[in-house]
Amino acid sequence: VAGEAHILPGTLDLLILKAVSLGPLHGYGILLRIEQISRGALLVEQGALHPALFRLVRQRLLKANRGVSDNNRRAKFYEPTSAGKKRLRQGEDSWNSLATTIASALGARPEEV
Amino acid sequence: MKLWASVRIFVLTVSRRSEVERDMDEELRGHIQNRVEDLERSGLPRLEAERRARVEFGGNERFKEECREAMGTHFFDALFQDLKVGVRMLRRVPGFTAVAVLTLALGIAVNATMFSMVSAFLMRRPPGHDPERVAVVTSINAAPVFQADVTPVSAPNYLAWRAANHVFGDLAANERRGVNLSSQQQSGAAGDSAGAAQPERLRAAAVTLNYFSVLGAAPQIGRTFVPGEDQPGHEHVVIVSHDLWERRFGSDPSIVERSIRLNRENYDVIGVMPASFRMLGFVPQLWTPLVLSAADQSAAARRDRSLFLFARIKDGVTLEQVRAEMATLVRRTDETFPDTEKGWGVAVRTLPDFLIHSFGIREAIVVLMTAVGFVLMIACANVAGLLLARATARRKELSIRVALGAGRLRIVRQLLTEGLVIAILGGGVGVLLSYWGIGFLRANLSFNEAISAVPITLDWNVVLFALVVSLVSALLCGVAPSLNASRADVNVSLKNESRAASGGRSRSLIRKLLVTAEIALALFLLIGVGLLIRGIYQIEHQDLGFRSDHLLSASLMLDDARYSGADKKRVFVQNVLDRLRQASGAEAVAVTSDLPATEPDSVTLIVKDQPELPTEQRWSALDFVITPDYFRAAGIPVKRGRTFTELDNFAAPAVVLVNQEFVHRYFQDRDPLGRQIQLDVGEAAPHWSEIVGVVGNVKTNSQETRDDPEVYEPFLQRPVSSLALMLRATSDPDGLSSALRSAVAQADPELPLFRLMSMPALIEGQKGGTPFFERALSCFAILALILAAIGIYGLVAYSVGQRIQEIGIRMAMGARSSNVLGMVLWDGLKVSALGAAIGLVLALPLPKLFNAMFSGILHVHEPGLYVIVPAAMLSVAMLAAYVPARRAMRVDPLVALRYE
Repeated sequence: VAGEAHILPGTLDLLILKAVSLGPLHGYGILLRIEQISRGALLVEQGALHPALFRLVRQRLLKANRGVSDNNRRAKFYEPTSAGKKRLRQGEDSWNSLATTIASALGARPEEV
Repeated sequence: MKLWASVRIFVLTVSRRSEVERDMDEELRGHIQNRVEDLERSGLPRLEAERRARVEFGGNERFKEECREAMGTHFFDALFQDLKVGVRMLRRVPGFTAVAVLTLALGIAVNATMFSMVSAFLMRRPPGHDPERVAVVTSINAAPVFQADVTPVSAPNYLAWRAANHVFGDLAANERRGVNLSSQQQSGAAGDSAGAAQPERLRAAAVTLNYFSVLGAAPQIGRTFVPGEDQPGHEHVVIVSHDLWERRFGSDPSIVERSIRLNRENYDVIGVMPASFRMLGFVPQLWTPLVLSAADQSAAARRDRSLFLFARIKDGVTLEQVRAEMATLVRRTDETFPDTEKGWGVAVRTLPDFLIHSFGIREAIVVLMTAVGFVLMIACANVAGLLLARATARRKELSIRVALGAGRLRIVRQLLTEGLVIAILGGGVGVLLSYWGIGFLRANLSFNEAISAVPITLDWNVVLFALVVSLVSALLCGVAPSLNASRADVNVSLKNESRAASGGRSRSLIRKLLVTAEIALALFLLIGVGLLIRGIYQIEHQDLGFRSDHLLSASLMLDDARYSGADKKRVFVQNVLDRLRQASGAEAVAVTSDLPATEPDSVTLIVKDQPELPTEQRWSALDFVITPDYFRAAGIPVKRGRTFTELDNFAAPAVVLVNQEFVHRYFQDRDPLGRQIQLDVGEAAPHWSEIVGVVGNVKTNSQETRDDPEVYEPFLQRPVSSLALMLRATSDPDGLSSALRSAVAQADPELPLFRLMSMPALIEGQKGGTPFFERALSCFAILALILAAIGIYGLVAYSVGQRIQEIGIRMAMGARSSNVLGMVLWDGLKVSALGAAIGLVLALPLPKLFNAMFSGILHVHEPGLYVIVPAAMLSVAMLAAYVPARRAMRVDPLVALRYE
């Protein structure tokens, strides 16, 4: 599908944390939320999401609670732990500074060199 | 991964495996369902929506695997997988597996078997409450005697220390005794009533009233002693052991409140101790109150050291503080009574520590455990060698796996797991084998009551030990091959397609190192065992100084109740000797205080017209009290002067005999006849005795090499209570045992006869655990030799297999088969010789070590072994190398070269 970008390695964790920081979500909801907040620009490979979720739970960045989804199905709802929130803030900062740096580097013109 | 977290995950993986899997399934399924519904909502038909959702999601299993890995259960999943693969691999090569498993099983079995001794002797907790807080106080002998620091304490010291110390809650005393137990019998109703059990001699202990409360032990039935029962007139109460209660009284609970007859007096049974109340080396059949009277406060009582002191340490007091306090108290007695106490010290140990130390089995166990440890190491080296050879054969397989993306760590793990499977199988078989081994051990370790009272079983300690040993061997066996495999270069070994991959230098180097180490260990072990066995052999074949053949002996103890005066003892002995002389087949009969070579007590002595020596340098000699025919019966030669006659009685002048060692040491071999000596035998009025003869030396103990000064007194001049009967028979001595028994029974039916056996049997008994020790050690040494030989065989066979082509080329170029044989043998010899040299150097300090360990018992000095054992070892190694080397000789160059 044109216009959809695959996620850069290492940024999936960050996006998951961001998605659940906006409110507890189940796995499929996280997928939709990421598509939503990236305005459909980022496509998460469906199968890659769950291993990432398990990993984040094990690192105690996410916690999972049992609940019932809006279509009445039992599901695990994820939300960030305090460590997860902290990791998100750090991630945002470093991502932003990296993006700025890369952008300015890519924006360099011959006369500036 | 933190340890705790791993344990949690492991438990989770194993116990809640299905739950975790279900959880994961549910989550993934839920995800797909959600997607299906979304797609349906966007207008796709249901079936198409489901198909799309699955396609989008991708490989279900792969994600599950990734999830598992992400959750951390991956480690254990991989382990299970490795185990499965390992078992499959090993099943494919049953011969290899059987050899490896059996080799390890043997190594583990001997270790587990020997460890059952450690568990039984060194790890068993003594009975009672908190035994670590019970201290045992003993004296340290001023003279350097065997086990000087477990000498008992005298009664005056016990009383003084109990009153003066501030570190013990309470201090109890225990005196080992022997008592005669006879059947319930009204005095006067003489003669054997039918069914009455024979009188018997029992191991007993006289203890202070607080003894059981200090140890924190309660009786199974009845009660222990109460205050007042150590007062004369009230002391006829007795507590019996579980063993005696079962054996002699048929476990009858009404035994309490009945009375039994000890030393011809009635004692009320007040309690029965439980079977668990048993301490290493302290196995009395009954306990009576220890009565301490004014006489036990006297100066003479200071020489009578017979009490073991047991104390409960006060709360908050450390063992060091106890030792410091006791040292102070001993210094005080030392200053007050220099005559008897000079040079004597005190030792304080915790109860568990004391029991093990005084039992004196630790050294033997250390030697045995070291030996089996070596056997295990050799076994591990063999299995490692086998695995290494197999790794070479599997080189291609492993290279392919690496090429397909298996991490090196994963390969190492796979190989280690295979080692683990072998080790666990070996451990299982080993524990099974040790079940028989321990049965054998039990059968061999029953040579005296103290030893047979110790239950040696296949307990949890042993199983746990076997498990640990298996895991360690898994590591030892698996490390070398797996490190080697992890270094394998994929390209090189895959490219080597056509060449049968030869081991490469580093691999064969490791194998050579392993075999070198095996040979070194085996040689060290063989020399060590050889030294010990040679030492023991010399003891067993020494000339004891008397003739033990055709000699029957038995012991008895004349109790004070009936034999209080000297006359009564003389009459009894005369009576028994007269009856025995009439027995047919009796050549000579005698009575003695101690049988020859059974380590009698020693007495100090002074010689008339010689300056008196300081206490600690005073002369001493082993003291025998005998009847005139003793030397004839024992076959001890008379060297000078005369022996005793019936005329040397209490009315005649006192006389003594001495042995040659006495003359040598105290009279510098000058004529001692006519000299007067005075023996300190605790008499009120010491007397001088004239030396009237010199006899040959008799070994102090049949199991030691020592010759000590000995002195003999006539029984008629000093009748003692503790006696042994000795009878020289013209034929088989055992045939006379019933005659001996009835002679004593006729003289006194209530007197028990004990240790009735021939002298060779008695000496056999004195050997104790030595024959077992010897047999076990030889077994281990031979096992080590066989394993090392297998190691050499494996190495040479393997390298011949690897060098088939090379040998083929050599032969094609004109090498004769003898050249090839020489070349292959030379390879084996180099490794063996290096190993032997290392083992030899390691074994050099062994004699010194053994002489220190078994000082006074063994004297090891055998330089010849250092030549014989390596030579034998190398011959065996060459034989082991020759078998596969012959194969190299028969290589057909054409076949070998075509073999690609």
